[in-house]
Amino acid sequence: MSYRMGARMKKKASYYVLNTITWFIVAIMIFPIYWMVKISLHTNGEILDGITGFTIPKPHWVNYIDMWDNINFSDFFLNSLIICTLTMILACAFAVMAGYALARFKFPGSGTFGMGVIATQMIPGIMFLLPIYLMFLSIKDTIGLPMIDTYWGMVLVYTAFYTPMSIWIMRSFFVAIPRDLEESAMIDGCTKFQAFVRVILPLSVPGIIATCVYIFLTAWDELLFAWVLTTTPDVQTIPVGIRLFVGQYNNRYDLLMSAATVVTIPIIVTFFLSQKYFIRGMTAGAVKG
Amino acid sequence: MSLLKLNQFTLGEYLAAPFIGLKNYSELLFNENNPVRQGLGYALRNTAIYTVVVTTAVMAIGLFVAILLNRDFPGRGFARAAMLLPWVVPSYVVGILWGFMWQKEGIINHILVDVLHLLDEKPYWLIGPNTIWAIIIPTVWRSWPFIMIVFLSGLQTIPDDLYEASTIDGAGKVRQFWNITLPLLKPIIAVQILFQLIANVYSYNIVAMMFGNGAGYPGQWGDLLMTALQRQTFGYWSFGAGAAASFLLMIGMLIIVGIWYRIFRSELRAE
Repeated sequence: MSYRMGARMKKKASYYVLNTITWFIVAIMIFPIYWMVKISLHTNGEILDGITGFTIPKPHWVNYIDMWDNINFSDFFLNSLIICTLTMILACAFAVMAGYALARFKFPGSGTFGMGVIATQMIPGIMFLLPIYLMFLSIKDTIGLPMIDTYWGMVLVYTAFYTPMSIWIMRSFFVAIPRDLEESAMIDGCTKFQAFVRVILPLSVPGIIATCVYIFLTAWDELLFAWVLTTTPDVQTIPVGIRLFVGQYNNRYDLLMSAATVVTIPIIVTFFLSQKYFIRGMTAGAVKG
Repeated sequence: MSLLKLNQFTLGEYLAAPFIGLKNYSELLFNENNPVRQGLGYALRNTAIYTVVVTTAVMAIGLFVAILLNRDFPGRGFARAAMLLPWVVPSYVVGILWGFMWQKEGIINHILVDVLHLLDEKPYWLIGPNTIWAIIIPTVWRSWPFIMIVFLSGLQTIPDDLYEASTIDGAGKVRQFWNITLPLLKPIIAVQILFQLIANVYSYNIVAMMFGNGAGYPGQWGDLLMTALQRQTFGYWSFGAGAAASFLLMIGMLIIVGIWYRIFRSELRAE
């Protein structure tokens, strides 16, 4: 009897210990984000004096207005939004079609194609950076179409980059959908394409959302290519804007942190709205390989 | 491209630049004064340390927390979502934010020295050998939540019967972990290790943002291959040599992937 009591006590103790560890980890994870928001609400003087308190004594909201005025933030924001949205639509459309083909059809070279898609991920980005830069220059010289400093140039590059990963995410989604569904649709008189559009696509909406969020998040985060391929504020994205800003106002951490907060909040909101689908989509891809 | 003499003088000719065979490679490998080569040794060493440490830490923490979260306790959904937050923070923001927090009078030193009294005096994190930790820790902070979520969904596919049966056979929690959990998660671990290797070897944003606006040199202990290559090729306009270096890097990556495939071959096939 006493042995069993001891076991139960031990179980209970370990339950609370593990819970404590969990919440401690949560605290560590959130703290830097909290710190970012907190710093963005201090005056620059306070930051330079060194901040030691953990609470926000007097929110200094003016930082956000100053930041917005100082770095043409709305331009960068709009550019990022346009480029990322277009990329998302294009890359996702390609990924849906290619992913479906990879999941369902055996065609000559389908295995090679599938492996090739993954293999492209092993090539360092910088290796593309130089050829793309030169290619863009030479396109402009030969057919007069400007590519550097344009929306379509950036969208083209990003679409090419994020399509392979998206294909794999979509593929694993389609693989999980039973074949019978299309077969019975085709018995009912659908063509292959109709079966795809009417039966499979509606079922894979969670996967499509997951893929879209993935593409959007990665494009939103891209710095290296945007840094080299854009030179005017008309097309520069947020990462570039922030990097330029760091160069100009090295010590204005109040403005810097408010910019960082403004960039982060929309993504966090988008992410939590789509979290359910997104986690399911990403992990399905990762678990089934 | 790596076979062309491509620099600021020949850039206008694009791919019609003079063909110089393997000279870019030999320059890169054997000429110590080649501008692209400057600092590449440090960058290579740092990238190796960075990749190994980050990948190991991310895997270990991810698995540990996934097991922690794979229990019933109040606030589980909230804890999971809160842990995922850093993963959505853009990496350039991570660079700026941690660069600020690592400052000598910054919050991390404040916590370590004034609050917890772990250290006697405030160390410099952004200069000297500590720099490598200043780039590793934020990367781990940002990367492990995703791995955790993947492991968590993997754990949920393991049927409870297996654990129940082994409990009846008298296996403890630790043995269950080694004999049931780990082997069943191996395919997932294999795939995630590959993704982590690729992502970390080609990591750029965090370092680039933490140390000034591109021109800033992260120092002998903070430089990574990507930042070094970008700085040297675009800084000195030596694109041919840069392409050669990237190509060598890709060969190196292929070798790493080959080794990875040898180790995990059986797990991948079992899927």
